[in-house]
Amino acid sequence: MFRRRLTALVCSVAALGLLATGCGDSDGGTPAAEKGTGKITFWSFVKGSDKVAEAFNRSHPDIEVTFEAVPSGQEYYSKLTNAVKAGTVPDVAVAEFAQLPEFATQGKLEGLNDRLGPLVEDHFPEATRELVQLGGETWGVPRDAAPLMMFYRNDFFTSHGIDVPTTWAEYRTMTGQVRKADPKARGGVLYTDNPGLLTALAQQAGSQWFDTEKDAWKVSLTDAPSRKVADYWGDLAGQDLVHSLSSLDPFWTSVQQNRTVAYVCASWCAGAQQATVADQKGKWSVAPVPTWDGKPASAMYGGSSFVIPKGAKNSAAAAEFIKWITTDPEGMKAWVSTGTSSMFPADPRLVPVTKSAFPTDYFGGQDIYAVGSESYKSIVPGWTWGPVMGTTNTAVVDRLPKVADGGTKLIDVLADAQRATVEDMERRGMKVAP
Amino acid sequence: MTQPTTRTAPAPRGPGRRPSVLLSKAGVTAMLGLAALYTLLPMLWLVLSSTKSRQDLFATNGFAPGDDFALLDNLQYLFEADNGIFLRWLLNTVLYAGVGALLATVFSVAAGYAFDKLDFPGKERIFSLVLLGVMVPGTAMAIPLYLIAAEAGLVNSFWGVFIPGLVFPFGVYLARVFSASYVPGEVLEAARVDGAGEFRTFCRIALPMVAPGFVTIFLFQFTQIWNSFFLPLVMLSDEELFPVNLGLYVWYSSALSQGHPQDYLLAIVGSLVSVVPLVVLFLMLQRFWKSGMTAGAVK
Repeated sequence: MFRRRLTALVCSVAALGLLATGCGDSDGGTPAAEKGTGKITFWSFVKGSDKVAEAFNRSHPDIEVTFEAVPSGQEYYSKLTNAVKAGTVPDVAVAEFAQLPEFATQGKLEGLNDRLGPLVEDHFPEATRELVQLGGETWGVPRDAAPLMMFYRNDFFTSHGIDVPTTWAEYRTMTGQVRKADPKARGGVLYTDNPGLLTALAQQAGSQWFDTEKDAWKVSLTDAPSRKVADYWGDLAGQDLVHSLSSLDPFWTSVQQNRTVAYVCASWCAGAQQATVADQKGKWSVAPVPTWDGKPASAMYGGSSFVIPKGAKNSAAAAEFIKWITTDPEGMKAWVSTGTSSMFPADPRLVPVTKSAFPTDYFGGQDIYAVGSESYKSIVPGWTWGPVMGTTNTAVVDRLPKVADGGTKLIDVLADAQRATVEDMERRGMKVAP
Repeated sequence: MTQPTTRTAPAPRGPGRRPSVLLSKAGVTAMLGLAALYTLLPMLWLVLSSTKSRQDLFATNGFAPGDDFALLDNLQYLFEADNGIFLRWLLNTVLYAGVGALLATVFSVAAGYAFDKLDFPGKERIFSLVLLGVMVPGTAMAIPLYLIAAEAGLVNSFWGVFIPGLVFPFGVYLARVFSASYVPGEVLEAARVDGAGEFRTFCRIALPMVAPGFVTIFLFQFTQIWNSFFLPLVMLSDEELFPVNLGLYVWYSSALSQGHPQDYLLAIVGSLVSVVPLVVLFLMLQRFWKSGMTAGAVK
């Protein structure tokens, strides 16, 4: 049902002339049997991309991949947008889940149904598939999922007799206990420069920031679950029970200086934690992310997929490459060959590959991939990313720092972001349901 | 440099004409002091952070020295990382900014001189086109330039970044002003009477006379290209062609979120190294720069 509505939506956008691509099976397409050969270029900011390209070139003599490093963040997406405009795109590019719909609805990506067939259906669970399939077409192949987890200082919790929280009510109690045990320490962070975690927590609570209704987008950044999450975190920040920090060096400095002893993050944080604060080895553990009702529920904070931008010269070979780096055990092995990445593969069958590559003595030998797997399974399905996430995210980030000083409420930040998002969508000619 | 020096006698202060507190000597000094802090504190942070080990970088205060002095290790690491790509980036930047700005300055001075001293049809109209170019910010030009470069097949090539750096409308405007104030028409008359051609007059007579202006324009354009970010970002994909700021940004942007704190350190040390040439250049050319800035002030 949902998918049919999206088809109608994407097609109606196409009718407006905003989407250059055809819809569903109306696409004449290239024969699926065509075998890719020749040269392709590959843009990515994901660590290990160079290793993956090398490994692919070694095992696939018919295709030669040239890897080109790009910066991450909004700069990358404007670079990719302009490359599509100018017709100078790479054959394969990375796209985070949050940005994929923006590119797909603007007709900047090549549909992959014809090239890859049921690959995405065969390999990925529904909650992940939904992120790359819009309007009946597949626009990207997921590489890593980023299920939420809670990281905490085992030594600190044990020595002060603090219990690991399983619900958000208990989490609040925990932050109070942490502050009492050490006035400088806090049991969490509200990032001032990164909306991703807040979005994930809203998704976990059952919020649907974006949805489609008939032929229009529905934007609800301030629905009831979202409000609950915003009030909760706004209160924690206002009461100084959690830090309000930039997710870059101020956050890591606070971890290094023992001022952050617990935080919610995704699977990939394990590698970052281990590399950035190496001397706290053995002191950290991982737990499932707390939930509102005690039943397992999770969401994604990050995660990436690979796409073929519109205008790619060699999409047959590009599809081969994408298939290998996302669903082939050898490809997955190449991603994690340095042994420093704790990325969680979007294809659950590849978990053993990444798990065996990431030593967990930093986490006292704990099986963090087991926690990740449980979290991945319990991701609340039905999430859709919006078509102007750049605008939405900027609107949130611009106002987030004011929440910490008590200048504004977190829910008002979301309300402002809602307004900015709707305005931008209407300006771009998209239909927004009231 | 921050101490204002007033040579002229202070204006008479009648009871009705008290200058505001902000304009008093102490007020001005305080404001300049603030401005100096604003400029110098980030530099201080950069210098101190560059001397720290990765551990100290997060464990110690940003404005305090670290426990270990790791500057030399960091530098060695910087120049060895990714097969010494950083040196390559530095050389690229020197080519883009150094050679580019030099050529841009030659063109600007020649054009400004022509606008000032020569007569040709449509002169003022063309000059207003130049002024129009001054008002369009460089960043706004990046996308159109990129699309043109795509047509011309210059995307992801050295020339895609180098050629746009050769055009500097503000330099043409400055050069016209400099030419008007530094090069008296009588001197050119004399040169012509002595039989020098136009080109010879420009090269031998006018150019040496506008030398301070030349340096000013050069420094302006040099910093502009050195700092230019968006154009190389969209234009270049081959790491070997990156200017240093783009390369540093690639290191920096994915360092912490993807768990590569060593890249973060690289970006910090690399930033320090990449501002050194700018500082050296400004110190060396300061004399010219200052005289260029005040050219024509008393005329």
